[in-house]
Amino acid sequence: MIKVTKLSKSFDDLAVLKEIDFQVNKGEIVVIIGPSGTGKSTLLRCLNYLETPTSGIVEIGGIAVDAQKHNNKQVTQLRQQSSFVFQNYSLFANKTAIENVAESLITVWKTPRNEAKQTAKAILIKVGLEDKLNFYPSQLSGGQQQRVGIARAMAAKGEVILFDEPTSALDPEWVEEVLAVMQQLAEEKQTMIVVTHEMQFAREVADRVIFMEGGYIVEQGSPEQIFENPQQARTQAFVKRALKR
Amino acid sequence: MQSSFDLQYIIELMPILLKYLGVTMEMALWGFLFALMLSLSLALIRVFKVPVAHHLAALFISFFRGTPLLVQLFILYYGLPQFMPIFIGMDAFTAAIIGLSLHFSAYMAESIRAAILGIDKSQMEACLSLGMTRLQAMKRIILPQASRVATPSLMNYFIDMIKSTSLAFTLGVAEIMAKAQMEASSSFKFFESFLAVAVIYWVVVLFFTRIQHLLEKRLNKAY
Repeated sequence: MIKVTKLSKSFDDLAVLKEIDFQVNKGEIVVIIGPSGTGKSTLLRCLNYLETPTSGIVEIGGIAVDAQKHNNKQVTQLRQQSSFVFQNYSLFANKTAIENVAESLITVWKTPRNEAKQTAKAILIKVGLEDKLNFYPSQLSGGQQQRVGIARAMAAKGEVILFDEPTSALDPEWVEEVLAVMQQLAEEKQTMIVVTHEMQFAREVADRVIFMEGGYIVEQGSPEQIFENPQQARTQAFVKRALKR
Repeated sequence: MQSSFDLQYIIELMPILLKYLGVTMEMALWGFLFALMLSLSLALIRVFKVPVAHHLAALFISFFRGTPLLVQLFILYYGLPQFMPIFIGMDAFTAAIIGLSLHFSAYMAESIRAAILGIDKSQMEACLSLGMTRLQAMKRIILPQASRVATPSLMNYFIDMIKSTSLAFTLGVAEIMAKAQMEASSSFKFFESFLAVAVIYWVVVLFFTRIQHLLEKRLNKAY
């Protein structure tokens, strides 16, 4: 249901992604790991067209967009198939928690306001924020903001939620509560692609781990394969370093 | 001849002048309303870089910022009817409102544009990631946040506009400045007359400054 074909992205002369191919099935939890600056976040942003790929095809939920002949309408449709959780939360600063979550339902999916609020409330209760419904982002802790960020992504009716280093900007004390929400989503078989440095999370929650370096997918497999028995030298080196921390 | 300061005269003049405050405020309020709509359009045209239109918007802004308001009013009221018959019937009051809105919209467009560009890029990205269009994002998320940033400078332009309506008397609009001028010439009490009109402007501006503070407080509640 997610299919990426020969996806490349260059910034000027710098090739960040080099003809990436991969697929993700419905209900699958895929974690992408790798050193900083190897294109993990760029890959995720290309799936959502927050970055426009240089070439290649992204297909999600039956909407396929070719980088070389895309138009705004297609891109908007593609984006509606996925939702995004940002490293810095990026909550709407002028809206309360419940309004943040209800926004896509009201604006994109034309759900009546009351119904959207009810849905938003239910989702916020699920992520443990029933007492923060009417708080503005500025009144919430980092961990709470990121949970609202995840709730907002859950409400958006996408086929897949894309997580771009969701815990990297958090103080250590808030990391646990955010990972717990993600784990809960994983248990419900919500399709997820997660870029993260949380190796423990990757090991415990992922169905498949993708190791990226230098704009390529170097190796992919089950967490056991990647962490216990990596085949490529570069994967071995990275995993050894990452698990030591 | 030296005369002494006549406070009694000022007190008697006040109610006479205040009758004309309505005309002044009407010009300022209409002028500001039109300027707001025009400047928002200009700002959006420039932010979205609408083909062709954004060059025209830049030219418009350059002209109305680059020439004095008084010159613009004269061109509009005394100059244009010479070539364009539709302007012949235009009264001075309408001309003043048009002139004020064109002039101030140029400045206000730049404030609004700066406020929009000042909103963190991540806010737009969050909207797009949910499948919203750029226009929806502007309307629902970016402009409400930008309006908070732009309010102090827009209120500043409004205050400036209230005072600039005094130039309308050069077109023959009977507003408070014109009335003060008339009273002064007949009584020869120039100082008292113009001081009286200055006080009225000042009090009006104080009133709107108060409104501005209340408005800013309201807009800041999320921050």
